[in-house]
Amino acid sequence: MKKNLIRYALLPAALALATAFGGAAAFAEDSINVTNLSYRTGPFAATGTPIMNGQRDYMIMLNERDGGINGVKISYDECETGYNTEKGAECYEKTKASSIVTQPWSTGITLQVLPKSNVDKIPILAPGYGFSPMADGKVFQWAFNPPASYWDGASMILKNISEGNLESLKGKKVVLLHLDAPYGKEPIPLLQAYAEKYGFTFLPIPVGVKEMQNQSAQWLQIRRERPDFVLMWGWGAMNVGAVTEAAKTKFPMDKFIGIWWSSHDGDMKSVGEAGKGYRAISWSLPHSESPVMQDIKKYVLDAKKAEIGEGEFDWVFYQRGVLISMFTVEGIRAAQEHFDTKVVNAEQLRWGLENLKLDEARLKEIGMDGMIGPFSTSCSNHAGHAGAWMLQWDGAKFVKVSDLLQADQDMIAPLVETEAKKYADANAPWPINEECKM
Amino acid sequence: MEFLNSIFVKPFADMVGAPDFLLQVLWEGLVAGVLYALIALGFVLIYKSSRIFNFAQGIMVVFAALTLVGFHEKGVPALLAVPLTLLVMFILAVAIERAVLRPLVNQPDLILFMATIGITLFLIGFGEIIFGGENKVMITEQLYIPTGSFEFEPFGGFVSIEQKDLTAVIGAVLLVVGLLVFLNRSKMGRAIRALGDDHQAALSVGISLSTIWVLVWFIAGVIALATGIVWGARAGVSFALEVIAFKALPVLMLGGLESVLGAIVGGLAIGVLEKLFEIYWGQPLLGGNTETWFAFVLALVVLLFRPQGLFGEKIIERV
Repeated sequence: MKKNLIRYALLPAALALATAFGGAAAFAEDSINVTNLSYRTGPFAATGTPIMNGQRDYMIMLNERDGGINGVKISYDECETGYNTEKGAECYEKTKASSIVTQPWSTGITLQVLPKSNVDKIPILAPGYGFSPMADGKVFQWAFNPPASYWDGASMILKNISEGNLESLKGKKVVLLHLDAPYGKEPIPLLQAYAEKYGFTFLPIPVGVKEMQNQSAQWLQIRRERPDFVLMWGWGAMNVGAVTEAAKTKFPMDKFIGIWWSSHDGDMKSVGEAGKGYRAISWSLPHSESPVMQDIKKYVLDAKKAEIGEGEFDWVFYQRGVLISMFTVEGIRAAQEHFDTKVVNAEQLRWGLENLKLDEARLKEIGMDGMIGPFSTSCSNHAGHAGAWMLQWDGAKFVKVSDLLQADQDMIAPLVETEAKKYADANAPWPINEECKM
Repeated sequence: MEFLNSIFVKPFADMVGAPDFLLQVLWEGLVAGVLYALIALGFVLIYKSSRIFNFAQGIMVVFAALTLVGFHEKGVPALLAVPLTLLVMFILAVAIERAVLRPLVNQPDLILFMATIGITLFLIGFGEIIFGGENKVMITEQLYIPTGSFEFEPFGGFVSIEQKDLTAVIGAVLLVVGLLVFLNRSKMGRAIRALGDDHQAALSVGISLSTIWVLVWFIAGVIALATGIVWGARAGVSFALEVIAFKALPVLMLGGLESVLGAIVGGLAIGVLEKLFEIYWGQPLLGGNTETWFAFVLALVVLLFRPQGLFGEKIIERV
């Protein structure tokens, strides 16, 4: 009995020693931990799940096909936030020591962890979301929002609805129907600046989380205001609720345009034919026959390494998830090469994310040709400002209806600079990257 | 002066100036009110019979709607999926009574409330394992719920009434009438009311606590299914439906936790008043989205004068 007790007492100690001296080193050499602050539960699960699936499956595919990145396995992990800011902040604290990157997955969580990034020295990767001034890499050294910020999205939508002539918006009325959350409010400063410059009326209409499924008040206001265009920064059930109400109000669907997070096939399938003509800007294009997607099919789905919903493989959001994981992977690759190391750390990944070179040749090489516009990042440009396409719902799926659009950086850059400075001043002392001369 | 005008004159001038629009606002408010009342009823029934504030009512809506759609996805005809879903809700009611409520008899109310939070968390996880997190389409047409709209042109304007909204209103009214008849005329209904009035006295005359609890949780499940169908038809079926339960809280504060009539009147009052306030005062003066707080403020004002709510029972306790 006594012998057994001693054995049990010694076992954890032995394990701890083994981990400290051998296990940890072996583990570290074998893999890189990438934890996603995901949400597969809660009111936004329907939109979160396909994106997280896409992110996960790209990582599994690389591990299965290539044995990871340059021989280093990716340990992909998730911490469930339920799209809740408090839970997201907890997940950040829990995972910051193990993961080499934080992917907050909500603008609210991004804003919470943003001030900590300089201290904890862990890069924040918020692809196509988060705080738009994060594009200013000199101020936000640890934050990245490639391939485009919300302000890029807003600018491209305005260019498209004005058919390239912003002056034509003069005297018109543009409504922004937005989730009443930091995400939904993000485009307001830029749209206000556009309204002042080009003489159109801009009217933001907020939708509370509890009102997502019953937006009759918001659409009654739209009916009363008779806007020329309605832009939408919607998420989750808000997208379905809005398109349903638009159809009910008989608002012309082709005058109703969403941001990229309002282009979810799963949402639109609930609306079906009634949503025909609805458009959304998207920096990603689904391309199920592309080499990367076929490899995911072969190495992950057919091999039963992971499961997804029926038809999800072809969805915009699933394939966008794949692209999002690619940003991290390409950042790791760049860092591995630059620092001549296999297992990169958070600081090295920061350099990698700051030096993404995703030109057409590279996209073709990794099997993603035509799925995303080419872009690159630098120490001053953390968004990449890639282009985007206008997609349109044809009653069953989203189809591309425009060429690659580009945002108006002359309009955006001054606002990014001003707002970034304002943020840095409000959070002083805030370190600025003085070494960056770009 | 302009400010006072925008509060006291302009809104009413707008109502008179566009009466068709006012009619549309009132209709939308009525529909919202009926839907709020439906959710509130689920809370009231359980509270009335067991003094438990059922935090799980929202997730029961999601669970019932997902079960219905899930059965249909498995090839079960829609009209058969409804009774099968009701059977699942009955089994759930029995399971809750056996596994959660029965072991907690005579525990403080707070413990029972916490237990319903536990039920919520369990149903979220269990539901996601079975049905997944993605958005599903409510089988509106398969249930023969009409999806067109009636359009009128009163006062030279335009009013549109969605047939599924009209069906929801009629369905909710029938459900409420049926419930009132059941509670007031049937033996079981009277037993529920007796239990709500005084647990000890009801038990002493032979009313079975466990039978009644199963019954009220099952009725709450029926209401959850009706609510799930109606709300699911508007914006799809997903876990997002859970948040609509919060819309019932001010209704309960206003109407009183024990009153079926209070839930109905409170729901309708909040539905109509919050819509009128949002359209004519909230949007022009406060930037909109007043629906998130208006009902709570209204309930708060009522509570100042009637702490038990409009229809709640005034309880005098000796100390």
